[in-house]
Amino acid sequence: MSLKDTLKEAVKQMAFKTSLDSLKKKGVQQVSVLGIDRIIALIDEAVHRSLKSRLVGVEREAVADATKAEFLRMLRSNEELQAQKSEVQKLKERAEEEVDQLRRELQSQHQELQIKLDAGDPARASRYEGENAAIAGRVNELFHLLGQSGGAIGLSTVQDKVLELLMEVVAGERKDAEAARKALHDRDVDLLQRRIGKLNESLAHTERRLREVAAMKSLDDGISSVYRDVQGLRADDMQVGRKKELMAEIFKANLQLQKKKSQ
Amino acid sequence: MSQNEGGAGTPAKDHGVLYIGMDLGTSRTSVSASNGVRETVYSMVGYPKDVVSRKLLKKDVLFGKEALEKRLSLKLYKPLEKGVLKYTGDGSMSDEAKANLKAAQDLIGEAIRLAKPRKDELIYCVIGAPAEASMKNKEAIIEAARAHVDSVMLCSEPFSVAYGLEWLEDVLVIDIGAGTTDLCRMHGTMPEDADQVMYDIAGDAIDAELARLIEKHCPGAQFTIHMIKDIKERWGYVGEPSERAIVELPVDGKPTPFDLTEHVRTACAILIDPIIKGIHKLVASFDPEFQTRLKNRVLLAGGGSMIKGLDTAVEKAMKERLGGGKVIRIEEPIYGGANGALKIAHDMPEEFWEKLK
Repeated sequence: MSLKDTLKEAVKQMAFKTSLDSLKKKGVQQVSVLGIDRIIALIDEAVHRSLKSRLVGVEREAVADATKAEFLRMLRSNEELQAQKSEVQKLKERAEEEVDQLRRELQSQHQELQIKLDAGDPARASRYEGENAAIAGRVNELFHLLGQSGGAIGLSTVQDKVLELLMEVVAGERKDAEAARKALHDRDVDLLQRRIGKLNESLAHTERRLREVAAMKSLDDGISSVYRDVQGLRADDMQVGRKKELMAEIFKANLQLQKKKSQ
Repeated sequence: MSQNEGGAGTPAKDHGVLYIGMDLGTSRTSVSASNGVRETVYSMVGYPKDVVSRKLLKKDVLFGKEALEKRLSLKLYKPLEKGVLKYTGDGSMSDEAKANLKAAQDLIGEAIRLAKPRKDELIYCVIGAPAEASMKNKEAIIEAARAHVDSVMLCSEPFSVAYGLEWLEDVLVIDIGAGTTDLCRMHGTMPEDADQVMYDIAGDAIDAELARLIEKHCPGAQFTIHMIKDIKERWGYVGEPSERAIVELPVDGKPTPFDLTEHVRTACAILIDPIIKGIHKLVASFDPEFQTRLKNRVLLAGGGSMIKGLDTAVEKAMKERLGGGKVIRIEEPIYGGANGALKIAHDMPEEFWEKLK
């Protein structure tokens, strides 16, 4: 692309669009229209005239080349910033999606855990009831047999002994069963809790990334100034002397003001 | 030190220099910058009233039109009044004054953000401050701006308008803002107190007068001061009307058309008398040899200068009371001050900026 085309592209990129209504609102009654080709021609002509009037041949070429290189560097810098902007934007969107997904998953795991915890107690109670009924049945059966023996052993003694024996067995069984059930339950809870822990960790990590991306957003905030260096008054300004005095007066007043503030 | 400097991971400021010119006004704050950005924002700052509104608005602070639109959920501040900060700077500041100071600082920060500065550029800013601002007021403006820029200076608002147009000699600038109308005589040096006159009859006074007239002549019409401001900005004129100002206002909930043509003219015309008095005072006390030249170089600037026919009406009144004169309305009333401040920033030598860092 030639320098003229590059300039044209840059002017287009830096221009902003506005409506006639908004201009009117800002108090602009008339606008002067200047074609883009004319602007480019003026810039080109101004640069060449200025170089021609101030520099000798070789130096002029060198300055022209350096200026073109600097201009292209600024353009590239702007393009890089645009690319960074879209990349950061994508990263941010991806991270936000990830956070949403993790939050949904965490919520569903919490619900699942709660259901399991709630379901645990009634199931165990109904199981105990079944076991108790079986034991009572067996005791009844035993007494029935003793009745049939014709009263050789004192009834109450037999009843106590049998019940004692039975309850010991039952207690042992209950203990084992309880331990087994508890182990199973704990394993489920442990598993779910570990999964929740991992999800929390992942959520924290993603949120941290999101914050980093948000901080990086400032990369895309900004439009380059047209000036690379501090400017100051131009030597060929028609009112340079007067303006210098005015600048000095403004500076003096501000220096006094800011000195007073810092004291 | 600027917030843009010194922090870990902050880029070096080696990319360039961004100049910003700012016009800090009672109604609007405008910025022009050397990256081509020109923005204006109503000088209003709003903070969510409670946790619910903060959650709803998703912001801690709102500015300009957005703040105005959401004002029912906000504590709304207009930190400038009659051209200066609502801030006395003395030890016994009320909570209201402190809140206004914070709002002013946030507004200045927002204005600088609107200029879209890059982190890796030096930022030099000139702010057009009201000529009547107190020392404490100026210090507060400087302090607020320094949090966002590398170096900052203040200058008188009318001066920056004239400087922007390169009219530095024998010119009389009339800057009509919302809070004040400032007249400033330029004669090639920095204007002194004797070169400046200020009246508090300006945009806000027109709004108040128009509201009074509508209340008196349009029975049942309901309105707010913001609606009045919109009417003024749309229809404001003096002299002969180019069209009838037919405006719909609610009456008992029903939009009802009212012809406000005469009321708008009457309200806007309150500017003319103080302007003529000010011109008279500044011309009469000027070097007699240059009085005619000064009368023929009167510049109308500021938002109030957008009132249709004002330049002609002032010229007519000058002819009657001062024997003649020429009034020129600047092309961009909203950005005249900011553009001038930007030009001052550009022309300021590097060593001056460095010394104020």
